[in-house]
Amino acid sequence: MIKRFEPIEGRNAEIIESLMASPEVAGLSDELKFKIRLCVEEVEENILCYSGTTWVEVWASVSDGVLEIGFRDGGVEFDPLAKPDPDITARLEERQIGGLGIFICKQMMDVLNYRFENSCNIFTMSKKIA
Amino acid sequence: MTLDIKKEGEKTLATLSGRIDTTNAAQFQEAIAPLMQEKDIEIDCSAMEYTSSQGLRVFLMLQKAVSAAGGKMVLRNMQPQVKEVFDITGFSNIIKIA
Repeated sequence: MIKRFEPIEGRNAEIIESLMASPEVAGLSDELKFKIRLCVEEVEENILCYSGTTWVEVWASVSDGVLEIGFRDGGVEFDPLAKPDPDITARLEERQIGGLGIFICKQMMDVLNYRFENSCNIFTMSKKIA
Repeated sequence: MTLDIKKEGEKTLATLSGRIDTTNAAQFQEAIAPLMQEKDIEIDCSAMEYTSSQGLRVFLMLQKAVSAAGGKMVLRNMQPQVKEVFDITGFSNIIKIA
């Protein structure tokens, strides 16, 4: 499944639901879907906040028991994986909220990948589902 | 997302239900505003189905405000999958979950 959204402003929920309803994701366990929805939302939020793109393509595919979710957008080059992880051991007073979304993805998915190719940001995340 | 708040003596009991995500995190932030001044807060999270990092941000803001004012807060009956989000982000270390 691959789907393109343009424009994307205000369509965050629609983009997430289209991935969750895809045949590759819809039949998975509730536990897996919880994690996938959360990671999709966090990546989507990053794209909308930082890349300044007007369009995004999203896809879901399964190969050898591994689900891949992908995002391609035409915004400015932005590698979410380049940011340092938040210090999750920091005391309450020093605790910062930044970088938490991608950190959650790192914990909940098996592999995250970013590349900038043909003037597009391409971000994929994959998880073993079988 | 709904947040019901009631006072029982010195205690403030809140019940949080539904999902907290990008679409309603701002609404959640408004909803918790009355709790910021309270000294003894319990939030029943048994019907809270989901939170993204946007929701965590609001919980962090609330905990910081409550602690700075010398108060205490506990989140109760959290569903395992939601608890996992608090655990992997280290939020379980700075917010009391029982």
